[in-house]
Amino acid sequence: MLLVEDEKKVADFVARGLRAERFAVDVAYDGTTAWDMASGTEYDLIILDLMLPGMSGTELLRRLRRQGKTAAVLVLTARDATADKVQNFEAGADDYLTKPFAFAELLVRVKALLRRPPTHRTHELRVGDLEIDRLTQQVRRGGRRLELTGKEYALLEYLAANAGRVLSRTMIVEHVWDESFESLTNIVDVYVRHLRTKVDDPFPTKLIQTVRGVGYCLGEAVPA
Amino acid sequence: MNTRSLKFRLVGWYAVVLLGCFGLLGAATYLALETSLMGSLTETLFRRARQIAQLVWEESQRQAEAEVGQEIQARYSPDLNERFVRISRADGATLYLSPAPKSQSFDPATLPPPQWSARTETSRVAALVGGRRMLLAAHKLQLPGGARYLIETGAPMDEVQADLRKWLKFLLAMLPAVAAVALGGGYVLVKRALSPVDQIAASAQRISSHNLSERLPVARTGDELERLSVALNHMIERLDAAFQYSRRFVADASHELRTPLTVLQGELESLAQEPNLTPEWRDRLGSALEEVGRLANIVDGLFAISRLDAGEAAAEWVPFDLAQLASATADQMSLLAEDKKIQVTCSGATGVWVEGDRARLKQVVVNLLDNAIKYTPDNGAVGLTVKAQGTKAVLEVEDNGMGIPPEELPQVFDRFFRVDKARSRDQGGAGLGLSIVKSICAAHQGRVEASSTLGRGSRFRVELPLVPIKTNHNHSQRNHEQ
Repeated sequence: MLLVEDEKKVADFVARGLRAERFAVDVAYDGTTAWDMASGTEYDLIILDLMLPGMSGTELLRRLRRQGKTAAVLVLTARDATADKVQNFEAGADDYLTKPFAFAELLVRVKALLRRPPTHRTHELRVGDLEIDRLTQQVRRGGRRLELTGKEYALLEYLAANAGRVLSRTMIVEHVWDESFESLTNIVDVYVRHLRTKVDDPFPTKLIQTVRGVGYCLGEAVPA
Repeated sequence: MNTRSLKFRLVGWYAVVLLGCFGLLGAATYLALETSLMGSLTETLFRRARQIAQLVWEESQRQAEAEVGQEIQARYSPDLNERFVRISRADGATLYLSPAPKSQSFDPATLPPPQWSARTETSRVAALVGGRRMLLAAHKLQLPGGARYLIETGAPMDEVQADLRKWLKFLLAMLPAVAAVALGGGYVLVKRALSPVDQIAASAQRISSHNLSERLPVARTGDELERLSVALNHMIERLDAAFQYSRRFVADASHELRTPLTVLQGELESLAQEPNLTPEWRDRLGSALEEVGRLANIVDGLFAISRLDAGEAAAEWVPFDLAQLASATADQMSLLAEDKKIQVTCSGATGVWVEGDRARLKQVVVNLLDNAIKYTPDNGAVGLTVKAQGTKAVLEVEDNGMGIPPEELPQVFDRFFRVDKARSRDQGGAGLGLSIVKSICAAHQGRVEASSTLGRGSRFRVELPLVPIKTNHNHSQRNHEQ
């Protein structure tokens, strides 16, 4: 994949993180270099910053699409103005991420764009002795049935679907609620606390892990 | 009636000036009429006096001075014509005195004695008994023999005075009509003259931060009104430039702030992923990350407000049921309230349609409810009401929490304002929630206001323009609970 980002430091840690996830990453620091690289190679995914020296991200995107490049494009930007979003989606962007972002979130979106589902897409999710049936929306732990409300279920399913990965509160809010609740990330804490009383409290092994400053993770231990 | 208004003053002045002119004109015509009537009466009297002088001269030629009286009586019969005739000689003897008129309007005997003067013809006004006056014309006749006569003719001024009174009556009768025309005409004129000002005011009213690119219509009249609209347009232009500058500034500042935050968050996260960190280090990194998160939230909130205030186009503009949105949102937030054992009650009408960006208006509900829940103690109550009131859709969030001191009430919508500074941070938020509510409401041509009784609770009231009810068109709200 190609990472186009003029801020060296941002480019560095994103590339580092993606390489750690075993992606092959090329990096371009300006628009014209990016154009040279992207027009000559078939990338699966381009992560594109909008404010670039040389050629703007939107312009680059337009040219690529005109050339018939089908690579998925994830736009990174510091501008989250709605008009910008619309303009870029029209130019051919597939997804959009506003700075600052949690790397975990970038990763989830990258994987989604590459059509590599984070876990097997079966209707049965299993984390430790926790079982979730996505069809009937039933949750069992250690064979015992847990009664969850709709939102609690949605939260647990999202955590389980990304088991072993740290999910930020913003990601959880956007996925389980919607963007109107973005300013209200403590709603996540409240729901997680309720979920814990049902999922973890009756059992010796705790599955819902808190990663301070980052978010929550479902698994038997915090991932290193 | 507003007595200080320009319209009132202009009409007033106009009427006063017009009535003043009418008064002056009336006085002038009155005086002119009086002069003219008196002039012609004097002229008539002099003519008669000259004719009588001719008669006296003729009779004296014939040595028949004594017959003058008879002749006058026969020719002119002054008593029948309400006229006075007296002929006096220089030695003081009265040659002829006309008898009292039939109407007895004056007694010739009581008139003042003749006045000899050096001039041939003189006229004067003599007072009669009963306040009436008589105009006297005197003609001096000098015969070749040396005898001198003074021939006086006179007429009461009643007719002249009656004519003048008639004219005065007519003028007074015209006064109300003139006043009505002055006021009515003035009102119409002023209204017409000021209507472009009203138009300019109405156009200026329509221009807000959201449509600063619009300009006022300029009437090419070359007068004050054109100058006014041109000047206003220049002002709007400068405002527009200032707004555009601040919008650009916000976009730039947003970029400049977010980039280092991204680096900070990324680096801290990758540090936190290090496998052999002590729990203490992990905790410290987590704390740093939390602060980065808060900073990012503040930046987001501030820029959201700036963009809303700058009138950036909303992502969508659709009609929807505010009541449904409110109850669905309250439902989604029920656990937040439950956590503090707060009872949230939803009441009011359904089918309260408004138009706008649903996600943003939902944020209004979210922020108001969150605020109410946050500042209401455990076991409290929060009420959410949606209703249609006239042309307004009204949403009210009421709590029985700690309330807001009256002196701080005007500031609750200010950025970074918190009622209770002490319990701020751990409650989350940076004091931007209500500012965002206010900006969103303003962007939807609505408004929000707060009222509160300290210690008993607060009420936030949102008013949005109501759109005509759609009945069979049931926009089903996507419920995120599903």
